[in-house]
Amino acid sequence: MGLKFRGGVHPSDNKNLSKNCQLEEFPPVDKVYIPLSQHIGAPAKECVNVGDKISCGTLIGQASGFVSANVFSSVSGTVVGFKMMHNASSQMVNHVVIENDKEYRKEFLPRLAEITPETIKQRVFDAGIVGMGGATFPTHVKLSPKDKIDYLIINGAECEPYITCDYRLCLEKGEEVIKGTEYLMIALGVEKAFIALEKNKADAVEHLKTITKPNIEIVSLPVRYPQGSEKQLIYAVTRRKVPCGALPANVGVVVDNVHTAYAVWDAVDNCNPLYKRAMTVSGKACNPKNLWVDNGVTYSAIYDYCKIEHVELSKVISGGPMMGFSQQNLEPATGKGTSSLLFLTKDEFSICNPSPCINCGRCAKHCPMNLMPMFLDKASLTDDVATLKKYGVMNCLECGCCSYICPAKRPLVQSIKRGKSLVRKEEKK
Amino acid sequence: MNKLMVSVSPHVTSNSSTRKIMLDVCIALVPALIAGIIFYGFYALFLVLLSVGASVLGEFLYNLIRKKPQTVGDCSAIVTGLLLGLNLPVTVPFYLPIVGGIFATMIVKMLFGGIGKNFANPAITARIFLLLAWTSFMTKFVAPIDINNWGNECLKFFNCALNGGGEWINGIASATPLSAYKAGTTDLNLLNMFLGNIGGSIGETCIPALLFGGIYLVVKKVIDWKIPTIFIGTTVIFSLIFGGVSSVLPQLLGGGLFIGAFFMATDYSTSPNTKLGVCIFAFGCGFLTTLIRFFGGYPEGVSFAILLMNILTPLLDKWIVPKPFGYVRKKREKKNSKVVADTAKEGK
Repeated sequence: MGLKFRGGVHPSDNKNLSKNCQLEEFPPVDKVYIPLSQHIGAPAKECVNVGDKISCGTLIGQASGFVSANVFSSVSGTVVGFKMMHNASSQMVNHVVIENDKEYRKEFLPRLAEITPETIKQRVFDAGIVGMGGATFPTHVKLSPKDKIDYLIINGAECEPYITCDYRLCLEKGEEVIKGTEYLMIALGVEKAFIALEKNKADAVEHLKTITKPNIEIVSLPVRYPQGSEKQLIYAVTRRKVPCGALPANVGVVVDNVHTAYAVWDAVDNCNPLYKRAMTVSGKACNPKNLWVDNGVTYSAIYDYCKIEHVELSKVISGGPMMGFSQQNLEPATGKGTSSLLFLTKDEFSICNPSPCINCGRCAKHCPMNLMPMFLDKASLTDDVATLKKYGVMNCLECGCCSYICPAKRPLVQSIKRGKSLVRKEEKK
Repeated sequence: MNKLMVSVSPHVTSNSSTRKIMLDVCIALVPALIAGIIFYGFYALFLVLLSVGASVLGEFLYNLIRKKPQTVGDCSAIVTGLLLGLNLPVTVPFYLPIVGGIFATMIVKMLFGGIGKNFANPAITARIFLLLAWTSFMTKFVAPIDINNWGNECLKFFNCALNGGGEWINGIASATPLSAYKAGTTDLNLLNMFLGNIGGSIGETCIPALLFGGIYLVVKKVIDWKIPTIFIGTTVIFSLIFGGVSSVLPQLLGGGLFIGAFFMATDYSTSPNTKLGVCIFAFGCGFLTTLIRFFGGYPEGVSFAILLMNILTPLLDKWIVPKPFGYVRKKREKKNSKVVADTAKEGK
């Protein structure tokens, strides 16, 4: 197997900043703001009232549909209100505000009587587990495919620069990740699973290899962005191509993040619902750390904990530098999908001054989906929906390789995103 | 708290830039320029510098007149000027590179929207314009200066130019190997042709220098290896077909094949963007070159071939739409997803 996919780029990974920082507990905060929409799909419906006394793990938001997920309290204390706030991607979302009594009384899910595919699926739904690589797609939906599944791939590629939390998780909680993988395999009824990591995490690969089970293969992949993208990962590991517009399940594969596997283990063995996660705090404007952070901790609390005095903070990114969202302020709170928070100084990011396209074709050469970004850019800027469709704009992953590589510094991925929404609008008509 | 910078992803970019690419091309052309100076003396350098200056001036003036933001900083006009200068015979009067340079950037490039939007390669179009407008100047090639007497002779062409060109009309006018070949000569000194010690344009004769520059560009990933390889390969194959084995090396080493294949045909804005398009484009360049050389009125056909394929490029880009990763044919898409899954598995 070549383990390679088409296109891609090599951004400098900057993982050394936080690579050797052990996962540590984030200290308790006074108030948490827990978003009721921490997943793709319908927001959870709040099921607590102001003044309620609650514990860690109390259900505070109930899934409101099949593609939705439960939301739990991450602290014990009193519900003091509801607040509409911006989340990391600048959408207005309802948040439950909880005053922390710092006692950390716990509430658990009932212990599973037996381990069957159905009970695990139900537990994944009950515990509110979502894809924790950043996309936050509810995991129970992935576990209920219509097609027969042959392989489960656990995604630990972590191809975005800076981020190291999945790496630390594999290194420190390897056994738990493997157990979670086994539960996911039972739920899907598959015989074979892969845990895929990039080669730059050699020690994690070695560690997992020593503790893995015979039917779980540890795969070491070449370092290339976007290795962690679902379609590219499936192709690299199994040589199966996910058809345009289809889901991985259509080719008999399900992909889950390593942190998701860990959360499944936690929910099945410890009966803990999902309300905290490992995340990386990195960048030159802070002390890099890998932290266990409760849901609902504001970015400002994290910055206060990690900041370096007298170092000017110029940019805050939630997520990685390739696909993450830059923040206007430090108000948003962490959620199930917040895998990293980057505090960057001026010299760590580029400021783009777009110049005319010179038609060099680098964007097309590096596009993992074999699209033609330069034509899509032109078509999007002239509202030319027919051309956008002709060049398959809807296949774009929004990975940002085109913008990254462009010598004219054009914001290609941005205009392609605009093109996608143009096509969607047209199709709605 | 300080103001935070907000922008769209990706927040990091590669350190490539238009200017760096253009400077790489300039660096790659330096060996050919040095070879030109060695073979034709300082007048060659003078002509190239005039051409570069005129090209930059053309773009600068255009932006000034149209009150557009200044774009000469991207250095693409320097590349155009260098290529045009290296494609002139050393005997031309000084005003030809000036006219050619301004024509190249102002008319061919800027009037069509500037960098990336011109439909034809500015340097080639300007060369063809000069060839048609001043045919007698542009087709008069002379033998290189005597290497053994270089110190004394390196100013020779300056003197010729100042004397109205009288001397080279009388004494040293020399046919290029290609025109000699066309006229029926068969005993050509192939080693001299390879080294560039023959009559020809300033920068087109020295094959090692051009190869060096071309390989530099391929290694630096500025150009793709496909265009030069297919272009030259096609030329070789069709020379073999049209002229037999003995014609291959003269056709390969004579004329502007290497400078055209490595530096002119690979121009970004006038070559296709798809793999298949690039193959057709390079094949067409090679085929048309040999067609013109063997059956046309001119001994040399590289410029015309590239220009013609330049004009075909927008059509190639329009016809050839690359299939996205995981593309499935329309017919199969309509069936249920199981079939899609099966076909995808078969295709692995």
